[in-house]
Amino acid sequence: MTSIGTGYDLANSIFSPDGRNFQVEYAVKAVENGGTSIGIRCKDGVVLAVEKVITSKLLKPGANKRIATIDRHLGVVYSGMVPDGRHFVDRARDEARGWRETFKTPIGTADLASRMGGYLQAHTLYQYVRPFGVTAIIAGYDSELETPVEGEVGKGPSVGAGGKVAGKKHGGPFLYMIEPSGLYWGYYGAATGKGRQSAKAELEKLDLAGGELSLEQAVKEAARIIYVAHDDNKDKEFELEMSWISGADGPTKGRHEEVPKAIREEAERLAKKALEGDDEEEEKKDDEKMEE
Amino acid sequence: MFRNNYDNDSVTFSPQGRIFQVEYAAEAVKQGSVVVGIASKTHAVLVAIKRNAEELSSYQKKLFPIDEHVGIAIAGLTSDARVLSNFMKQQCLAHRLTYGRDMPVRSLIDLIGDKAQVNTQHLGKRPYGVGLLVAGVDERGGPHLFEFQPSGMTEEMVAFAIGARSQMARTYLEKNVEKFAECGREELIAHGLKALKESLVQDRELTVENTSVGVVGVTGEGAKRVVEPFKVFDGQDVAAWIEAVADDKEGGDDAEAEAGGDAPAPAGETMEVDE
Amino acid sequence: MDHRPQNWGRPRDDVYGAYDGSYLQSSGPKQATQSPIVTGTSVIALKFKDGVVMAADNLASYGSLARFTDVPRLRSFAETSVIGFGGDVSDMQYLNRHLTDLSIDEAYAAPSSTDTTTSPGAGTLNAANLHKYLQKLLYSRRNNFDPLWNQILVAGLDSSEAPFLASVDMRGTAFTSPSLATGFGAALAQPIMRRYAETDEQAAQLSREEAVKIIKECMKVLYYRDARSLDKYSLAVVTKAGVEISEDEQLEQQSWAFAERIKGYGTQTV
Repeated sequence: MTSIGTGYDLANSIFSPDGRNFQVEYAVKAVENGGTSIGIRCKDGVVLAVEKVITSKLLKPGANKRIATIDRHLGVVYSGMVPDGRHFVDRARDEARGWRETFKTPIGTADLASRMGGYLQAHTLYQYVRPFGVTAIIAGYDSELETPVEGEVGKGPSVGAGGKVAGKKHGGPFLYMIEPSGLYWGYYGAATGKGRQSAKAELEKLDLAGGELSLEQAVKEAARIIYVAHDDNKDKEFELEMSWISGADGPTKGRHEEVPKAIREEAERLAKKALEGDDEEEEKKDDEKMEE
Repeated sequence: MFRNNYDNDSVTFSPQGRIFQVEYAAEAVKQGSVVVGIASKTHAVLVAIKRNAEELSSYQKKLFPIDEHVGIAIAGLTSDARVLSNFMKQQCLAHRLTYGRDMPVRSLIDLIGDKAQVNTQHLGKRPYGVGLLVAGVDERGGPHLFEFQPSGMTEEMVAFAIGARSQMARTYLEKNVEKFAECGREELIAHGLKALKESLVQDRELTVENTSVGVVGVTGEGAKRVVEPFKVFDGQDVAAWIEAVADDKEGGDDAEAEAGGDAPAPAGETMEVDE
Repeated sequence: MDHRPQNWGRPRDDVYGAYDGSYLQSSGPKQATQSPIVTGTSVIALKFKDGVVMAADNLASYGSLARFTDVPRLRSFAETSVIGFGGDVSDMQYLNRHLTDLSIDEAYAAPSSTDTTTSPGAGTLNAANLHKYLQKLLYSRRNNFDPLWNQILVAGLDSSEAPFLASVDMRGTAFTSPSLATGFGAALAQPIMRRYAETDEQAAQLSREEAVKIIKECMKVLYYRDARSLDKYSLAVVTKAGVEISEDEQLEQQSWAFAERIKGYGTQTV
């Protein structure tokens, strides 16, 4: 941060002589201190997970959710400044609602990512606002089914216009991550927040691009990765929150839902076990070294 | 005082990713007198210390009813609190008019959280200089207690305290946090007042002048659901509760307070006259 | 060439006179919906011991033409309520989208389905809340002189988990009764339903099977006598356990023998 004090970092939308927008970089710092969030896109769904560090014993356990539903098939988790994250969620819900109003169909995950990327980018352009202090992960499962022109009441024409191309595959699981700059990419596995480095390392081991991991496995991996990422921050207790989205024939029937308690607890049990196993191995190695 | 260049407005991040204006606003909350809130499975209570500006002036109110089922306790700038309080009242009324039901407390809290967040992201606005404890009941899990901060952060708590010297009250609450869920109305008030006492300045005591108690409750579900509407008790109405937690009656930290009966008892005999 | 598009392809003004564009003028009061276009006929509903039964046929008429024969007019809301629409079908479709948005909004804050600390459906809008909301919506629309041309029945349970049934019309008029019917049903089905359940006490004696039987009987009478009706219909039952809607009911054991005895209508010559 050699440019601190030169004055180019005091207002948003100002370029420094070497072409940087410092206020956006500082916003990223706010993210880097937040609890770890991850997302996993697998062959039959998407999983979101977040580490919620317990800042006070007086917090009501399980009552403060950090993963939000945007539309029936869309979920968002974020790291960084929580009130900014709520603002992000509100805007995303408005976008999803607006899309339904205009096009009479749910918004696609890619379209939502694009809209929200634009919204965050706009907050880097003007001096009268500040960038968002969050990095958000958007998960969605776009329907593969032929959606009716109208909902449950009254059907559209059973033949004719509909825009479907024979043989073309539509929909599926998607995952995007948006940074405070408005930059976003699609991911197989995404991680942000304090433990993102170790989380990324774990995600890379999973061969997500290979498309072999199932949703049930992904839930267990997500729990384990949050536990691994938390390991560097061991002295503080945390709560794990997870949500998932499957296709229409999967466990959530295409909807974004919280992972059922029983499944989450089982995943946490396995995660703790895996972590203990690692520690033992490390200890063994240490012992061996000692012996040498 | 040391000044850095990053603390003049709420649209500038410091190099560490902090927003000093928001942090300073949080300091304003600590200037207000202490308020405590606790929720059990059946009730949520708010208790507060009121201050008077000078000997002959009246005491500033700390607890405000929002709707039948919600009330707030404030610490910080009272006038900012009134803006939020009016907004919350309007939202609750509009919800009641449109849907014919109590507004879910979480929905209400989210609205003021969002409102406050906007003030931390736009030049020419300032964060609210007030913290709130919001107690309410709804059909989504019975009684609730929320904390609201100037940053727009809102969290549901089992119990909490904000305002001047509130750390001592929080320590008391943390020590007893496991007990609250099963507490009845009177026990909960007693715990609240005991926590409040922890935060008092030396030589100050709870009196009928400076103590406020607010209670809201719910029992049963479905057809048998009965709501005890949020009500604030002041003056002689709190005398019995104060008496019940008086130092000489305490048998140690864990003593369960035994307040007399369900209704607030009549005035204590040693109380001073107001005028 | 005359470059003004409005003059292209028109008969010559010098021969046929200038085009009368007066109907395109927007002076004068703004006019919104003046009449329904594509319409659905009766919706009928009856309370019973544990809930409510509702039915409406699957026809959307264009005037007297039976234009669309596969338009179900009942929908569920949040798996706790049933809403039946009579009147304009495009307004019904608008309301349907609107209610879908509302149900998505509701689901944001509601406890998750896997939360065991609260009973399922607790805290979401119940039928009474929903009816109140629709009443405010329709009343405000009519006050803006842009009414939604519908008559709506809302069925489900109220906050004390008792069966709830209420109606709201395009003017925002709302009322409740143990049995309700819109459109032609108000004249033809209501008297039949009242024979069985004139009061809430009587409705509370009805079993689900009895209520369904009465409703099916009413649907048959409506098909016999209402010229804008269809023998394919939807039937919904809402109870504490949730909502069941079947959209492909068919009137059975029809007997048109009585038709012969009716004289003086239609194209009969004898």
